[in-house]
Amino acid sequence: MDYLLHIMILVAIYSIFAISLNLEMGYTGLYNFGHVAFFGIGAYASALLSLQGMPVWFSMVCAMMIAGGLGALIAVPALRLTGDYFGIATLVFAEMVRLFFLNERGLTRGPMGLPGIPRPSFIAEGVHGLPMYLVFCVILTILVFLVIRRVTTGPFGRALKVVREDEYVAQALGKNAFVFKIKAVTVGSVLAGLAGAQWAHYVSYISPGDFTLNETILVLLCVVLGGRGTNWGPVLGACAIVFFGEAVRFLPIPPDFGRFVAPIQGMVYGLILVVMMLKRPEGILPEYRSR
Amino acid sequence: MTYYLQLLLNGMVAGSVYAMFAVGLTMVYGVFRFINFAHGELIAWGAYLVLLFYLEPCSLPLYAAVVPALLVTVLIGLAQDRFVYKPLRHSSHITLLIASIGLSYLLRNAIRLIWGSDLMTYGLGLTRGISFAGLSITWIQIAMVGAALVFLGFLYILLNFTILGKSLRAVSDNMDLADIMGISMKRIGLTVWLLASVFAGTGGILLALDTNLEPMMGLTNLIKAFAAVLLGGAGNVWGALLGGLFIGIAENVGVAFFSPGYKDFISFAVIILMLLFRPRGIFGIAGGVR
Amino acid sequence: MAVATAASAGDAVVGAVTPLTGKLAVYGEGFQKAMNLALDEVNAEGGINGMPMKIVFEDNNSTSKGSVSAIQKLITIDKLPVIFGPAASSNFLAVCPIAQQNKTILIGAESAAADITKCGSYVFRVFPSDLLQGIGVAELAKSLGYKEVVLTYINNDWGVGLADVFKENFKKEGGKILDEFAHEEGKTDYRSEILRIKRINPKAIVNLTYIKEGATLLRQAYEANMSTQWLMGSASKSPKLVELAGGAAEGVIGTYPTFSQETPEYKHYKDAWDKKYPGGKTPIFGEYNYDMVKLTAKALKAAKSMSADDIREALIAESQGFVGVTGDKSFDANGDCGATYGRWTVKDGKIVDYK
Repeated sequence: MDYLLHIMILVAIYSIFAISLNLEMGYTGLYNFGHVAFFGIGAYASALLSLQGMPVWFSMVCAMMIAGGLGALIAVPALRLTGDYFGIATLVFAEMVRLFFLNERGLTRGPMGLPGIPRPSFIAEGVHGLPMYLVFCVILTILVFLVIRRVTTGPFGRALKVVREDEYVAQALGKNAFVFKIKAVTVGSVLAGLAGAQWAHYVSYISPGDFTLNETILVLLCVVLGGRGTNWGPVLGACAIVFFGEAVRFLPIPPDFGRFVAPIQGMVYGLILVVMMLKRPEGILPEYRSR
Repeated sequence: MTYYLQLLLNGMVAGSVYAMFAVGLTMVYGVFRFINFAHGELIAWGAYLVLLFYLEPCSLPLYAAVVPALLVTVLIGLAQDRFVYKPLRHSSHITLLIASIGLSYLLRNAIRLIWGSDLMTYGLGLTRGISFAGLSITWIQIAMVGAALVFLGFLYILLNFTILGKSLRAVSDNMDLADIMGISMKRIGLTVWLLASVFAGTGGILLALDTNLEPMMGLTNLIKAFAAVLLGGAGNVWGALLGGLFIGIAENVGVAFFSPGYKDFISFAVIILMLLFRPRGIFGIAGGVR
Repeated sequence: MAVATAASAGDAVVGAVTPLTGKLAVYGEGFQKAMNLALDEVNAEGGINGMPMKIVFEDNNSTSKGSVSAIQKLITIDKLPVIFGPAASSNFLAVCPIAQQNKTILIGAESAAADITKCGSYVFRVFPSDLLQGIGVAELAKSLGYKEVVLTYINNDWGVGLADVFKENFKKEGGKILDEFAHEEGKTDYRSEILRIKRINPKAIVNLTYIKEGATLLRQAYEANMSTQWLMGSASKSPKLVELAGGAAEGVIGTYPTFSQETPEYKHYKDAWDKKYPGGKTPIFGEYNYDMVKLTAKALKAAKSMSADDIREALIAESQGFVGVTGDKSFDANGDCGATYGRWTVKDGKIVDYK
């Protein structure tokens, strides 16, 4: 039962992470492969602040703002790049952020990580706190989902889609594509920071190795699999990925084959990405096209 | 003074191998117009396949194991195109990029599955470096530079003095026009993948001879190759060569000035700076295999 | 929510978070084998007051995230009162707070980071803290007469922690560190680092690193025609180092938490190992895992009940004067045990004790 709670908390957190990426990728057509950097920045910012003694809710809010601020800052120069170059630039940016976490030992304790990150004061530590933490995460996820849905089904969302499909048309219609993109990236980064902070306070220990290309691929999978440009898509994707990742733990694998599990999982993830691109690039849940 | 000269020498050795990687990557871009993220895995597979033929049960001598290893690497490169990239030929750049990321993840984990995540070596004996003028170099490093010279020299001849080479340059310049002129796209495609795979695989084997094999070697070298490609301008073969040399030298000499922990940072910084300020490369030629 | 107690009435069950996959898998396999060896012996001698003892192994994929997932499962689903912790110090540190909060006993057999001492009352280890090894390395340098050294260490929790302790002690004795820097884990090319050292041309280099990285450093230094005395730590002490580095490893001297191989306890362990796993070499840290299981079994037998608090009391009591394969395992107030540090060296391609 408690383990189920654990998985659901992961699903809730990854849903927010995936929704935030979907806002940038699915709706606005911005292939931000470095999204995990903002997840990490949110996690580290919130953890460091709360370890200094700040109340957790305050740390989380600060973390969101820092992540969002950095996102906007990076977006301004980066958005001059098109499509796949933007993707690669953001991917490289994420690696640079990770190197920063790893090498700036004075600030982040480098590879030794940050242990003992506290929970919000109204949630108990340890196993006892699990149900409350789940409630906390689910409430946040629902909030984020509703807000994003509101935003994307309204004029802002439609404008984003126009920007995605054809920037010149968007500009002809009087929409400043650049400003819309910045807004999308900022909101996306804020939410990624939130997800990161939630995660940090849940696992109570983070280190630079938690924010690598691996995590980028996982969240990319959530969005690609679930369906870009829809709201339930990333949530569906998050469910699928988390369950697949954890379910493997329960398969009766003989101990000799234990070492094959992770590479095979990795191969499956890679294969899913390739097959999705070949067969159904828009994802499982189709985008609703209003005709 | 010898300190800096040695760093320069090391940089040139590393750079010559990066040049081989970058040249293959940029040629694929020149003809097919996308960055093959899985190019790194050709590097890794080239190196690991030699292990397959060198160890039990094949037990070929090392130099003989290289041949089947490269052959299979070429097959992998061709398979990449046939099964993944060709069907996606007319899709958006992003779809191709995501597919190539997925492919690279698949291939990398396949290596982990077969050979494990641990470091491996070809198990050659230990040798002292050759000393001259206060500098030191091993024979393997000499071989690396030599091989790069031979391969790149061959490429030069190919591109400039053969019909195939000229067709290649025509195709990357303007694919549709070349098609109308009767150049066989199929043959060109085959040639490009052949060259890219052989260059990548050979470079990987040389690297493995010099240091070790580990599953991430494809990805780490891909980043450097990509930085070199950007420096030279995507599609520009000789630009990629110079870019590779530059990256190798910058990495090695740079360590004299800052912490070795940030060594990889150089490639990243180059990539970001080039993308932001001069995406056409230092030589300012966009596209075209020149 | 019940505080951790044993699962079913029929068995005495404990948990283990082990790296069965991932970068430490090659060691994890050995740990598991050693633990199972001890387990078999315990059960052959009647188990825990008649109940067979069982270990539930959970894989952590050699990562902290994996360790957190694994220990969550062991605590919440299996509800085990005692868990044998993950190997790498960073993984161990990640799960410490969880074990402590859930009042579950966590025991480590391979984690050396000094920070673990502060983990809490439910955390123990049969492996000595690096605080002691840092002193050992500094003493080694001093006793060999090296007053000025270059220091390099692997850029992770173990290396950084050990380097800090070494620096403190070495400087206290009047030693001077000519240059120091961290080197990255898992790199295949350290030539730039080697060159930096070669430029200073020190008489001795303190290199606190793992086996693969150590071997690469030794090899590339040799190829660069560098001659110096290498002083290393316990993590590099392995035949694999010599295998990978060949002649370049000759003459390296290092420290390691030592236990005599002449004791009856060790002989018994070796014989039992050879019988159960013929043809295999005893794995690195295998002895610590073996002792951990044996000591835990002893505590379980003596405990008033299967609740974590009772087991904890018994553990502390039983450890006093407990002499395992790896020596005296008496736990101090922080759950740490002591160690003596011996010295090893590579001579004629073999790892032997340094006299």
